[in-house]
Amino acid sequence: MRRFLSAKGLVGLTLVVLIVAIALVAPLFIPETAGTRMDMRARLAGPSLVHPFGTDQLGRDLLVRVVLGAHTSLTIAGLAVLLSIVVGLPLGVVSGYYRGHLDNLLMRLVDTLLAFPALLLALTISAMLGPSLQNTVIAIGVAFTPYLARIVRGEALRVVQMPYVEAARAAGTSDPMMIVRHILPNIMPQVIVQATISLAFAILAEAGLSFLGLGTQPPASSWGLMIQASRDYLDRAPWTALVPGAAVAMTVLGLNMFGDVLRDVLDPRARA
Amino acid sequence: MNRRELMKSTAVLMGGAAFFSTFTPSSLLAQETPSKGGTLVWGHSETVQNLDMHQTGTASTSRVLQNVHCSLITVDKDFNLVPMLAESFEEGGDGLSYTFKLKPGVKFHNGKTMTSADVKYSFERVKNPATGAVNFEVFNDVSAIETPDDLTVVIKMAKVNAPFLSRIAENGAGVIMPEGSGDVQGKTPIGAGPFKFVAYEPGVRVELERFDEYFDGPAYLDKVIAREITEPTVRLTGLRTGELHMINDIPADRIEEIKGDAKLQTVTWFPLNWDFVNLNHDFEPFKNQKVRLAIDYIIDKEMLLQGALWGLGRTTASPSYPTSASYNSALANRPQDIEKAKALLAEAGYGPGDLKLVFKATTNYPYHIEAAQIMVEWFKMAGVELSIEQLTWADWLSQVWVNKDFQISMMNFFTLWEPDFLYYSLWHSTGAFNYRHINDPAIDELVSKARVTVDPAARADIYKEAQQRIFDEVHDVILWFRNGTIGAQPAVGGLDTIVHPNGSNLNFHKVWLKA
Amino acid sequence: MSFLINRLLSTLLTLFLVSLITFAITNLLPGDVAMMIMGTQANPEALEGLRQSLGLHDPMLVQYGHWIGGVLTGDWGTSLIFKAPIGDLLAQKIRASALIVVLSMGIALAAAVPLGVWAAVHRDRWQDSAASTASLLGVSLPDFFWGIMLILLFARTLGWLPSSGFADPAIDFPLALRHAFLPALALGLGLMAHLTRMTRSTMVGILNQEFIRVARAKGLSERTVIWRYGLANALGPVMTIAGLQIGYLFGSIIVVETLFNFTGMGWLTYQALLNRDLPLIQASVFVIAAVVMLTNLVVDLLYVLVDPRIRLE
Repeated sequence: MRRFLSAKGLVGLTLVVLIVAIALVAPLFIPETAGTRMDMRARLAGPSLVHPFGTDQLGRDLLVRVVLGAHTSLTIAGLAVLLSIVVGLPLGVVSGYYRGHLDNLLMRLVDTLLAFPALLLALTISAMLGPSLQNTVIAIGVAFTPYLARIVRGEALRVVQMPYVEAARAAGTSDPMMIVRHILPNIMPQVIVQATISLAFAILAEAGLSFLGLGTQPPASSWGLMIQASRDYLDRAPWTALVPGAAVAMTVLGLNMFGDVLRDVLDPRARA
Repeated sequence: MNRRELMKSTAVLMGGAAFFSTFTPSSLLAQETPSKGGTLVWGHSETVQNLDMHQTGTASTSRVLQNVHCSLITVDKDFNLVPMLAESFEEGGDGLSYTFKLKPGVKFHNGKTMTSADVKYSFERVKNPATGAVNFEVFNDVSAIETPDDLTVVIKMAKVNAPFLSRIAENGAGVIMPEGSGDVQGKTPIGAGPFKFVAYEPGVRVELERFDEYFDGPAYLDKVIAREITEPTVRLTGLRTGELHMINDIPADRIEEIKGDAKLQTVTWFPLNWDFVNLNHDFEPFKNQKVRLAIDYIIDKEMLLQGALWGLGRTTASPSYPTSASYNSALANRPQDIEKAKALLAEAGYGPGDLKLVFKATTNYPYHIEAAQIMVEWFKMAGVELSIEQLTWADWLSQVWVNKDFQISMMNFFTLWEPDFLYYSLWHSTGAFNYRHINDPAIDELVSKARVTVDPAARADIYKEAQQRIFDEVHDVILWFRNGTIGAQPAVGGLDTIVHPNGSNLNFHKVWLKA
Repeated sequence: MSFLINRLLSTLLTLFLVSLITFAITNLLPGDVAMMIMGTQANPEALEGLRQSLGLHDPMLVQYGHWIGGVLTGDWGTSLIFKAPIGDLLAQKIRASALIVVLSMGIALAAAVPLGVWAAVHRDRWQDSAASTASLLGVSLPDFFWGIMLILLFARTLGWLPSSGFADPAIDFPLALRHAFLPALALGLGLMAHLTRMTRSTMVGILNQEFIRVARAKGLSERTVIWRYGLANALGPVMTIAGLQIGYLFGSIIVVETLFNFTGMGWLTYQALLNRDLPLIQASVFVIAAVVMLTNLVVDLLYVLVDPRIRLE
């Protein structure tokens, strides 16, 4: 168990660190223009020394685009998850801590939102606001919020019943103090695990939205956009789909592996 | 393909013919006698929507319903008006009345025989604003529709409307429907065309069946099934695997490959439609002609055609149908000249980096997105920052078309062969399609004058003058005519007859399947 | 019984809220419905007339009243783009989607349950990590990417299955299956991965329990212990999780059906969104949410029926 865990964790961690590093560093070394530089003489060119991953339908270098795409995808996914935490965490804590009517009301709302599949909700919101980087973040963030709120509330409910919380309450600790000192630190592990997993889903969601034309806007390099563009050239230039596909797979796989290990470490109860 | 080769090949494609079609050898050999029967499965590139031909303005629906409906008159390949359901037609001499003699015994799909009452019904239905007919303004100048007998229709005009006959020759405003059938047309169209409507499953297929009593002789095919397949590569795969007999709109980058495939035949024609880049004249920088001129100089039309459409078309500076009398062949696209563009921008007071523009392009035409991405690079070279906003068709219509809320955009149009429709609606300050806020008194005067000029040659000259004005003022940047393409199995015969002169509609009357 | 009534009442309440939210979100959508109906070549006056007759200028509350009243009486209105009664459209498209949802669920369960059990039995050994890595890979790629790969392999290269389209099962069932198979598989792969993980962890939990140890101590064969005692008790939770995935599936069908041109609910919803077909957007979003909720309700009720604690006694 331990050995497998650490191997898996190591792979996950390596992938995540590698991709996050690429996402952070790439824009510093690769000028933005490199991702949109076209070469009409080398359209849909196969992998070669000049273009290690080949080129797309406008003769743009896929290696450069996939590397710059890491920045786009991770930024959107990261901000979306952050948004869902900023909104979902207080909702869940307040709901779980105060319970009663407020809890009923909030959870009814959350349940209602959960009835909409996340991608459907994100698509509808994105269609409503019009596609842009900022709106993609909002669409995905809002769609993920009810999931996070639900989990946080469950955790808060559990923590509230812990003896030390009862003790603190008996000692007359104020509500805000109680939440900051006792509740939040104890639900943080779950929030971190959920955030890691949400990040993986957010990357998939961004790809899905861009694929349908409702996410990132061209000519920006985004993995979903790249896969979308590849559709028309699949049998002729399969690398145009495989390159961004592999990038998505590696990132999401890394995050999932890392999330699994995190859960085992941070949340012993979930360990099977 | 480099640019010189491209020029050569497009020159060959044009060939001076009014309407060119090219075929692979297999179809040239196909001089056999047509055989009757069979069901043709067509992979249609677009989704059909409202089936009421009076109410719909979409090319996709017209393309299919061309086979279901007829008009009194139509156009031949040289755009001469010729009778269709009418036996003859004449203009009263003063431009204020038109008399149509109807062919006797023309049957509708519901078994009724066409009379003047059906014609009156159809035209009045279009004219009535409550119908919501797309082209109801065609009948604006009509004061009365008289039916002296069953086979005669007299249309009285309140004032001269030179384009009137051409407009009712279109399969839109001119469609004749049986009296009283308006309510069902949206779901089950009934007309007098060579095929009867059978079924429509949204997004899946439209099914048509031969109408044996068609006035011009029955078609060969038993049935036509138009399967709606919007993905270009999927359509192509369907053709290759034999699921489909034919497809329209072969992916632009694959056309050479398909042409070289001995197992398939191709039809290409010119033009399918035309594209232009739009500048919003209400946007401060674009109020200055120098800025608009600079934008024109930034765009390399030939390269853009190559990049966005894999060269499948021909650049033009005039939007008139290329072989029509009003096409101004003296105009030539301005070549790309970034330095000149920079100088013009500087003269207008915009140094490098001063102009930041948003390009709204619709995903409904993926090649517009490609074109926009290419333009971004050129604009950057000229010191203009261009960013793209991809809009769904609905958003584009609402933001650009209706609310005129945009800076730069791009659109395409059918190759509208009636110049009044084209120039009046697009460039007149009150034109229905003037979404660019163009307000040029010179243009207004020209197109209004043309509307009441009956002499064809004089009219054509006025429109040529209008084109010159549009070009000089750079009201829009006109780019190119795009080619139409069809790919088919060798078993499909009669493909040389399939494309309607308007370049968009497909007619299966003389198409057949080899046994 | 009171559980049942409570659950039904709360479902009804949520349904009502879902209808409110659906209506609110969709009415905030920008876009001109009249424009969409008439196309680019429409005349402005004709457009305005159409807006009037569609009631687009009525107050929100009046529009909601009309809409919900229609929904309750089975009159869903007419789709603006397809000019067809929405009720008919939905009935047709739900059947189409049901085919791929059921098929993908079947494919996923058929693969995930044995794989999950196998991984749990060989816990912490190479089999476990292999299954775990494979299923992680499954959830790590977007289903549209799987779809593209499946088209490339089965349609383009091997030519075994059609790459797109939909065939009506009522007319030609084998053909309908051929058309449904690839989209179902694309949906099923992600789901399979998820269910494998769930089956494994549920099984691991059960195999650790007292009654399993008792069964083993009684000398029952390992096979009996695992399949008869272990899996029988794991099935309830696994089914529950599978049922809850219906929501995930109904989100995914939007992309997958669009990719495969499989004209079901997902395709319909996307078309409605693209074309601003407001009545159709409202109806399809509401129906999808309702289907998700009702499935969850059914799963909950079934779960009570097969609760392992009840069966153990």
